Amino acid sequence: MSNNHFRIALAGNANVGKSVIFNQLTGLHQHIGNWPGKTVEKAEGTLHFKGYTIDIIDLPGIYSLSTFSIEELISRDYIATEKPDLVINVVDASVLERNLFFTLQLLELETPLIVALNQIDMAKKKGIIIDHEKAEKILGVPVVPTVAVSGKGIYGMLEKAIGVIEKKRKMVPLKPRYGQEIEERIEDLVILLSKIQLRYPARWVAIKLLEEDREVEKEVLAVSPEIVATAEKLRGELEELHGHSCPTVVTSERYQVASRISGEIQKITEPLKTPLREKLHRVTTHKILGYPIMLATVLTVFVAIFTFGDFTSALLGDFFFGLKPAFDSVLGTGIVGELIWGGVMEGIIGGITVALPYILPFYFILYLFEDSGYLSRVAFLMDNLMHKMGLHGKAFIPVMLSFGCNVPGCLGCRIMETTRERLLTAFVVTLVPCAATSVIILGLVGAHVGIEWALALYIINLIIIFVLGRIAFKALPGEPTELIMEMSDYRVPHMRTVAKQTWFRLREFIVMAFPLIIAGSLVIKFAEVMNLLEPIANIMSPITVTWLGLPLMAGIALIFGVLRKELTLIMLATLFAPMSLADAMNPVQMIVFTLVAMLYIPCVATIGALVKEFGWKKAWLITVFEIVFALLVGGIAFRILTI
Amino acid sequence: MELPLTALRNGETGVITSTDFSSEREQRCRHRARKGWRKHFMVARFAKRLADMGLTPGTKITVVKSAPFNGPLEVSVRGSRLAIGRGMASRILVDVER
Repeated sequence: MSNNHFRIALAGNANVGKSVIFNQLTGLHQHIGNWPGKTVEKAEGTLHFKGYTIDIIDLPGIYSLSTFSIEELISRDYIATEKPDLVINVVDASVLERNLFFTLQLLELETPLIVALNQIDMAKKKGIIIDHEKAEKILGVPVVPTVAVSGKGIYGMLEKAIGVIEKKRKMVPLKPRYGQEIEERIEDLVILLSKIQLRYPARWVAIKLLEEDREVEKEVLAVSPEIVATAEKLRGELEELHGHSCPTVVTSERYQVASRISGEIQKITEPLKTPLREKLHRVTTHKILGYPIMLATVLTVFVAIFTFGDFTSALLGDFFFGLKPAFDSVLGTGIVGELIWGGVMEGIIGGITVALPYILPFYFILYLFEDSGYLSRVAFLMDNLMHKMGLHGKAFIPVMLSFGCNVPGCLGCRIMETTRERLLTAFVVTLVPCAATSVIILGLVGAHVGIEWALALYIINLIIIFVLGRIAFKALPGEPTELIMEMSDYRVPHMRTVAKQTWFRLREFIVMAFPLIIAGSLVIKFAEVMNLLEPIANIMSPITVTWLGLPLMAGIALIFGVLRKELTLIMLATLFAPMSLADAMNPVQMIVFTLVAMLYIPCVATIGALVKEFGWKKAWLITVFEIVFALLVGGIAFRILTI
Repeated sequence: MELPLTALRNGETGVITSTDFSSEREQRCRHRARKGWRKHFMVARFAKRLADMGLTPGTKITVVKSAPFNGPLEVSVRGSRLAIGRGMASRILVDVER
């Protein structure tokens, strides 16, 4: 990098205000994407400060630099191999011990470091006073108290950051020391490791070998199997001495160091009365009161999203379809005009009116909840129920919201920790009947067959979700993870950060899903204009007519459902006109049709969301599976119902 | 008295004695060469994850409450509040005075 162009990485635990600092630093100059090949969000931004251009990268919020999760692996690889000019470790001042444990690991990685002692105001309210000058002396790196939400200390932090990068001040960073018996063995390994070339500092590799870190072990094994063998022997000795597994011993001692340091630099006085946030925590996780509060909150969110969505959707729809005459006068009503309006424009309109009005409030509320801390309380309450479908508590939010629209559900899956959990949750989410599916269920079966049948379909759907969820849980490789999460204190969300997060994610969604929606609608419109729909319906007839027992035209309706599920119902009515639905289809056909429409394919916007989160391969896998599964269930239902 | 974390009453505090069930069993796994390796690996990862969250042997831990319907436990450890799934919690052994 040139003399005035730097790279700074933000690292720290989850919920320490890292993203607020990131937003304070980068303003609107951000780019949000994924890490290459991973479903982990990568946020980058640029900052101009005193003539310097600084690229800021916000690493995922993690608790350790071991390799438990992809986030941890990504963060550590980034710090160790991409070697940013500086790492700013954002620390929650009110949970010092746990946060210092992470700081110590950054020190072990021997990366240039400064510590931002964030939420120092909250700590003070909790009766925690921290001597940051003493902390600086002990840690051997600059320590800056900050209050990210108000921007306090950010300027000073940047000045110190520049100072460290330009090496204006000599400080000797702390090297965390372990007990005698561990240090001796680290020394032994360091001597061996100094003979080979590695991308990491030798002492760090030695410690990681004692911690039985698979990734590091793999790398060392490729160069020198003897070192790995020695490490295993040394681990055995330590286990003998301590009576616990070696990784536990090392981690335990590191925590002891963190505990000692935090004891030296902070003074805690218990506040006299229980603060409001504590009362709020007690009520919202209460064994009886917690549930009605959660139900009320979720319902409110639901109603809010859909009231806003329906209203805006109708408004935008009216506006855009009002443009049609103008379009017709310019392009004419010939094939070209038809294709451009019906394919491209209606695709765009569909995207704008169907997806955006629901996704925008959804994102906003999701980030609001996440930022405030309520999300983790909901996960706490719902953990057991979600276990029944192979997920854990956190999955409740995406699943719940999918009843409205699958798209935000899919996008919400990233609150899960491992790739496996994300994929499982997304799979379950795409099976949940969304609002459009409900329109079909109620509009076709509910109105013409009977409300009890509509209800039965919902129940069947829920059973399918539980059964398939469990099967996928068993079938997917990788180990199941149980809930273990920090429930950090409630706090007032930082509106500007939430708004920015909403905006950048929304923009990302538009870029990903809109081309897909437009392409899909163009293809179908093309088929319609070229009079290909009937031949296609004929080709599909072995499935639709013979296997599912549906009228021929129902196949066309199902094709349109790919764009938007409620279109299937509208298309049915149009295709059968002037016959009414009740005359064109018998009750069994209606039930089978609805069953298939309910399960058969996530709509194109949902596929777009899946592609964005998981890549083409997994998105197709889910899509194809669900089509086959829906046809299977539909055919079986047809045979059972006609007995 | 040594008990699994799940056996503690609300508000009770104990000191963690083991997070990996038993080192003895783990060592047996290790010697059983390949067959037991995967299992050992899982056990080790599990303990490591708990340790990373600050649940190491010798640490004081307080059970605040547990979620209904066999839900997770809310615990207070190292000045922070954690939720731990019940299955996980049942494998943490604590020493408690009664």
